Amino acid sequence: MSVTAIAGEPRMRAASRWFSLESFVLGGAILALVVLVVLPVLSLVVASVVSGDGVTLSYFERALTGNSYLRALGNSLVLGSWVGLLSVVIGVPLAWAMSRTNMPCKPLVQATATLSYLAPPFLTSIAFVNLFSPNAGLVNVFLRDAVGVNVGFDIFTMTGLVFVTVLHTFPFVYLLASSALQSVDASYEEAAQILGASKLRTALTITAPLVAPAILSGALLAFVNAIALFGSQAIIGLPGRIVTLPTRIYSLFDYPPQYGLAAALSLLFVAITVLALYLQRAFLARRSYVTLAGKGARPQLIDLGAWRWVLLALCVLVFIVAIALPFGTLIAVSFSKSWGLDFWHNLTLDNYRFILFQYDVTRRAIVNSLILATVAATFCVFLGAIIGWIDVRTKMPGRKFLDYASLVPLGLPGIVMAVALLQFWLSVPYIVLYGTFTILLLAYVGRYVPLGVRAANSSLRQIDPSLEESARILGSSWGNTMREITLPLIRPGLFAGWLLVFVPVVQELSASILLFSSKTITLAVAVYNLYETGYTEPVAALAMVNMTIIVIAIALARRLGASRLGFKTQNSNASVGGTA
Amino acid sequence: MAGIQIKGLSKSYAGKDDGAALESLDLDIRDNQFVTLLGPSGCGKTTTLRLIAGYLKPDTGTIRVGERIVSTPGEVAPPERRGMGMVFQNYAVWPHKTVYENVVFGLKLRRIATAEARRRVEETLALVNLSGLEQRFPGELSGGQQQRVALARSLVVEPEILLLDEPLSNLDAKLRERMRVELKQLQRRTGITFVYVTHDQGEALELSDQIAVMHGGRLQQYGTPEEVYRRPANKIVADFMGIVNFLTGEVRPSPNGNARVVRISDVDLAVDVSPAFEVGAPVDLAVRPENVRLSRKAGGNALEGRVREKTFLGNFTEYWVDLPGNNSLRVQTHPVEKFEVGSPVFAEIDTGECTVFRRNAA
Repeated sequence: MSVTAIAGEPRMRAASRWFSLESFVLGGAILALVVLVVLPVLSLVVASVVSGDGVTLSYFERALTGNSYLRALGNSLVLGSWVGLLSVVIGVPLAWAMSRTNMPCKPLVQATATLSYLAPPFLTSIAFVNLFSPNAGLVNVFLRDAVGVNVGFDIFTMTGLVFVTVLHTFPFVYLLASSALQSVDASYEEAAQILGASKLRTALTITAPLVAPAILSGALLAFVNAIALFGSQAIIGLPGRIVTLPTRIYSLFDYPPQYGLAAALSLLFVAITVLALYLQRAFLARRSYVTLAGKGARPQLIDLGAWRWVLLALCVLVFIVAIALPFGTLIAVSFSKSWGLDFWHNLTLDNYRFILFQYDVTRRAIVNSLILATVAATFCVFLGAIIGWIDVRTKMPGRKFLDYASLVPLGLPGIVMAVALLQFWLSVPYIVLYGTFTILLLAYVGRYVPLGVRAANSSLRQIDPSLEESARILGSSWGNTMREITLPLIRPGLFAGWLLVFVPVVQELSASILLFSSKTITLAVAVYNLYETGYTEPVAALAMVNMTIIVIAIALARRLGASRLGFKTQNSNASVGGTA
Repeated sequence: MAGIQIKGLSKSYAGKDDGAALESLDLDIRDNQFVTLLGPSGCGKTTTLRLIAGYLKPDTGTIRVGERIVSTPGEVAPPERRGMGMVFQNYAVWPHKTVYENVVFGLKLRRIATAEARRRVEETLALVNLSGLEQRFPGELSGGQQQRVALARSLVVEPEILLLDEPLSNLDAKLRERMRVELKQLQRRTGITFVYVTHDQGEALELSDQIAVMHGGRLQQYGTPEEVYRRPANKIVADFMGIVNFLTGEVRPSPNGNARVVRISDVDLAVDVSPAFEVGAPVDLAVRPENVRLSRKAGGNALEGRVREKTFLGNFTEYWVDLPGNNSLRVQTHPVEKFEVGSPVFAEIDTGECTVFRRNAA
């Protein structure tokens, strides 16, 4: 008994469904995810336990006993812990001021958090080196030569590294805490107050427990993000002999490369990251009772009186230190002939002329990064749309596995992603990807595909399945329904997702640093190399080009209304591993 | 045009252990009919509709449309090959397309020439009273207008079968009333087979040629509106089809001859009792509130009681009458006759309109 479709030819159709567009596209996406994420991670595992003569644990043994590796591990944990703690110290007061008080100038707080998150830490590191390096840092020179005291601040220390990193990570705590504070409805607090609880008691017994999971979760995100940043740890850590996991793994690729050890160390790194992310999710899950009440929640605003000016002063201070100071410095450096106390005597455009027109490496790097970011963002978004569609709309067996696989990159620091890709593609015969654009593209798409999936997922969930079903029953095929109905409807969400990938890829350093070649050099790598070779002023000019690209991208996003989907919810949860 | 034959259809959802969503449904929907699947939420009516549309694959059973089998557990013709139309509860009018683009969508897929397509879209929009709104976007239309767009979009491709999933439940009461009339007329005019899902028994009674009352994943009764209202197959149907009183009683032999009666307290009511009931069987007598007449004088088939409560409801007055033996009766009468709270009354039952059910049976 065969099913006869009304339009006829049942046999043909049954056979042709195997080759339909639907199975082709869905199968392609699954395959892409396997090649991008699953196989590289597996080959990382294999490389860590297989040496020339069989299975071995010697790599792990060396990684866990060697002094230099243990010190790197210890430094990473110290760095991450301090950054997590200090992110809370800065992020929570800002979040509270923003969502619960009548402090003036609230947009300034929001802007500070957004800009701090978007500013790549390797650029702020360079800026602070220009101010606080022990010998040539402007502030230290000023204190020594003009004031005559030798008490300057040395940036090349753990303190300096924590300081620079916190400026990038406190927005994680800020965003999660403020959204939690906003979703605690005033009625919870009013209920406590009418029963006789004081304001302080209410804050401690009602509000704090409700938002604590969000704050802890933000601190863990800050931790994970902080330890993954290659740029700041190389720029500030290495001159001060503070070796961390990313820089230690990087040095293992000096000739002769030690792949097995790098793989073992990478897996330790992943283990720490995954553990932290697991805890973060667990904390965030406990927050769910807050978000349930979130709809139309009406937070209670506290009248601070004169204290609001004190709070505002604190916010302005954060803005100055996190934004104005580093970028003011970079702008000043980029226009000066030679950075020093009297830099304003000789302002020049030469640095820009040099990096934009004269030096072919930087020119190539800018073009490369723009192209790579455009292509990677497009791939991520389409891959994300298909994977999201499978997850939200189908009952395909194994779709949960697909969902998890697309989340795996969140647990992979950039440098680990690069190690995994190198490991995997070196083991594939006949295909030589080392030093090509393709391997960079694979790294970018693999790293940021979770952002694409998340963007597609959240927009698909807002579209009722009946919109697609009604097209199907009118006779529309799967492909036609996607083209005519689904994709146009989720386009704004996809565009937001596109920018969310584009921005970090333009300034990606952690993975690119291991994968680039002179032909495929990228913007962030060029900045880093130029800095290493001591081109202080052109580096600043290149940094400004980088920031200009990002600002244009963000402005476009806002202009096109994509900010509706918000950097708020998406960034805070999604982009672990962030801009590095 | 085509009818639908459903045989032994079952469906359960993964992860739900509390019984199947639909269990062994047999249903014969004849050509050109307006058939309603009626029941509370979770009764399986929407599952049935989605099985007919081909969005779901049955666990057992078959669905035939005309001579063709369209669904078996092994193979399901996809929705786009069924030539049906469907109107969704939330309208599902595409927000990024104008009214015209929404309606013409199905015609484009059928490669109808532009001029002909334009003519048919305009004709259909006129049919649902939407002429002149072609270039509007759905966001600029009211709920009722969006619903008509959804209707027009389904009708313009001239389906043999139109499936409607609670299409009026999101409209306000006045508009719902008017759309009911229009839907009924539309079905008459086009001759399309309508399969209509609703939980509103008034809507079902007004619109349908046949009503399939469903509960707990099973078909309870399939019949004309009059049959399911006046002769409910079981207590579930009696209860769902409107207000009903269940009076506890017992089957007794009739004093004059072989027939039997139902005794409520001390009064024998001359109800038509089926031979399946033995004498002495405990029963519930289903009495609709409009089939009771209150009076101050005793009479045949009348139970004596006392008015407990009285509510004026406009076109009728509702009384709660306490009867002996813990029975109470909800009565709806013309507001002209007035009975005061606390006063004794006689409730005369129209025994021809009552149904007898075994007590404790569903």
